[in-house]
Amino acid sequence: MTTETKPREASLEHLLKRIPEQIERLKAVRETYLTDAVLLGEIPSPTFCEEDRIRLALDRFRENGLDDPEIDEFGNASGILPGTQGDSSILVTAHADCVFSSETPHVLNVGPDSITGPGIADNAIGLAAVVGLPRLLDHLGVKLKDDLLLLANVQSLGRGNLEGARSFLETKQRPIRAGICVEGATQGRLSYSGLGTLRGEITLRIPNNYDWNGFGAAGAISHLTRFVNQLMEIPIPKEPKTKMIFGGLRCGSTFNTSPRRGSLRFEITSEDDNVVLDMEKQVNELSEQFSLETGTSVVLEIVAKRQNCGIPFSHPLVKTTRAIMAETGITPNVDPSTGDLNALIRAGHPGVTVGLTTAENLREENETIHLDPLFRGLAQLITLLQAIDLGLCE
Amino acid sequence: MKNVNNQNWLESNTFHHGEFWDIIKLVEEKEKKGMKISLCIPTLNEEKTIGKEVLILRSELMERYPLIDEFAVIDSGSQDKTLEVARSYGADVYLASDILPEVGDKKGKGENLWKAIHQLKGDVICYVDADISNIHPRFVYGLVAPLIRRDEVHYVKAFYDRPLNYSSGLRSSGGGRVTEILIRPLFSLFYPELTNVIQPLSGEYAARREVLEAIPFPIGYGVETSHLLDLYEKFGLDAFAQTDLDRRVHRNQTTNALGKMSFGILQTFFNRLRAQGKIDQMPDMEKFYRRFEVEDGTYSQLVQEVVEEERPPMIEIESYLNRVVV
Repeated sequence: MTTETKPREASLEHLLKRIPEQIERLKAVRETYLTDAVLLGEIPSPTFCEEDRIRLALDRFRENGLDDPEIDEFGNASGILPGTQGDSSILVTAHADCVFSSETPHVLNVGPDSITGPGIADNAIGLAAVVGLPRLLDHLGVKLKDDLLLLANVQSLGRGNLEGARSFLETKQRPIRAGICVEGATQGRLSYSGLGTLRGEITLRIPNNYDWNGFGAAGAISHLTRFVNQLMEIPIPKEPKTKMIFGGLRCGSTFNTSPRRGSLRFEITSEDDNVVLDMEKQVNELSEQFSLETGTSVVLEIVAKRQNCGIPFSHPLVKTTRAIMAETGITPNVDPSTGDLNALIRAGHPGVTVGLTTAENLREENETIHLDPLFRGLAQLITLLQAIDLGLCE
Repeated sequence: MKNVNNQNWLESNTFHHGEFWDIIKLVEEKEKKGMKISLCIPTLNEEKTIGKEVLILRSELMERYPLIDEFAVIDSGSQDKTLEVARSYGADVYLASDILPEVGDKKGKGENLWKAIHQLKGDVICYVDADISNIHPRFVYGLVAPLIRRDEVHYVKAFYDRPLNYSSGLRSSGGGRVTEILIRPLFSLFYPELTNVIQPLSGEYAARREVLEAIPFPIGYGVETSHLLDLYEKFGLDAFAQTDLDRRVHRNQTTNALGKMSFGILQTFFNRLRAQGKIDQMPDMEKFYRRFEVEDGTYSQLVQEVVEEERPPMIEIESYLNRVVV
């Protein structure tokens, strides 16, 4: 059965009523969707090395009948499902990179109720939803009047600094009505703003001419520990909300040798760009001071930086998303994004990020997604697409 | 000596799965020939890997591309959740003991493979082991494609990439430990032409019904070896083909398990030797050991002469006897 979405007749209420039926019908195409997730997820795809996974995404775009399937000069794969009118486009995107290196065995275990393995939640299952969307819509008999622009974007995480999505949006000259960023986890996630973010890596080195007999002389581990303590003394305001996270500390390789080099990865996020700037300045000053006082080399490298952006809570896109979540039985968890949504909104397009299912052990090698909630997550995504298509989110 | 270094056969009957990437074309060719293909996965306690195998192979090769007409899991009586998991992803699951009950129930992988011939309807049956961690549709289309395209081929074996040392640009294309230590030396001695089969023990193969129904099936470890020996005896090397399926990730077996496997294989092997009169009237022993290497994608056989010369008992040596006397 094919349903032509007619803006004048349809309403959000009408769409919401169909959600339970959609959830049930989506279960019938579970295998195709999960197969895409497993095949995509078993291809290693660390940031800057996403080519192989992107090639499969492109193959799927082709096989699913998209127009103009292509890999752009930045490495993103995209394609277009033409709408019945095609006056504008709706962008649905998922990042194709994951946090695991190529050396990690990307083997996924498929159980009756769950799938476990590195990167399945972040973001193989999200990417599979984008790649398989044409088939899911076809199965449900949904035809959009807008073109559906599907994107598997690269270089999102860490040092990627959203470069894939940003470059795509800068160069793809299409009228975009709205965008949805799809993340595998966690169901209930609702992001409509991008946080001001700064990610940096501090590298501390002991120089060759270091005076090991000097006062306070120590190896890189001791120095880094003291330096982290000093960073923790930087005042962090409660309002505007601000956070500093130490995400990685690498130093040393043995039991009995003081290492000469170490590095610290951190992230500062704040609702106020000025706070981020001020904290960056303080980290810089502390690095310089610590370097001079200890005779070590302390170098701060900023690997990612982005400013606050967002659409209001009262924006029809956010209101509609919340209404759909409520009808789908999903409790919204409002959480500003540090991901691709930032690039989307800064490019001038309204957008949200939603999560598809519940998950455990995120970003661990035994990352696990639960299959049963997945269909609610997919119904949420498809209903939101229909609502945008009907002009209910403007 | 027969020309066993059959480079022509290697070149014409050795494939890479990449040659068959266009599955739509394969489906068209299959349908044009009116061919039906069945897939069988024999299982015993494979709950960790069976879900993914059923999911991917059914979804890709039955739903997305209808290359496979029938798909069955045939189980030897798993005690874990193998059956539940396989069913949850839509597999037709059978207990081997329920098939042909009048002939009784024997426990072993070969029993499941044999009963699959009775249970399944396909003109071609493809067997895939259940313990493959990196399952991919190539494990099936790479094996059935030569049977679709080449009428004279009856039996297609898989072989895999087992990388050992690439520093010289050469890599060993060896099989597992039992293949290298037991099967290849035995084949080199008694069936040198069969040494062209790169991984004779691989658990993935596809064959036409008319050849499968015409040979006996050891129920245990010897089933792969017996297939090669029996079909070679009946049809010769030209009935075989082999496909490179790249890497296969599976659980590692203990040395004890391999010893047990070797013992089963030896029984099968010597049964064939006896049946073919090669034990009672032992032919001259071959003296060439044959193995493979691959360079720039081309497989070639390395032949080494290994002559196990023997010295007589020292007491038969005159100089030695003289020395004792002195």
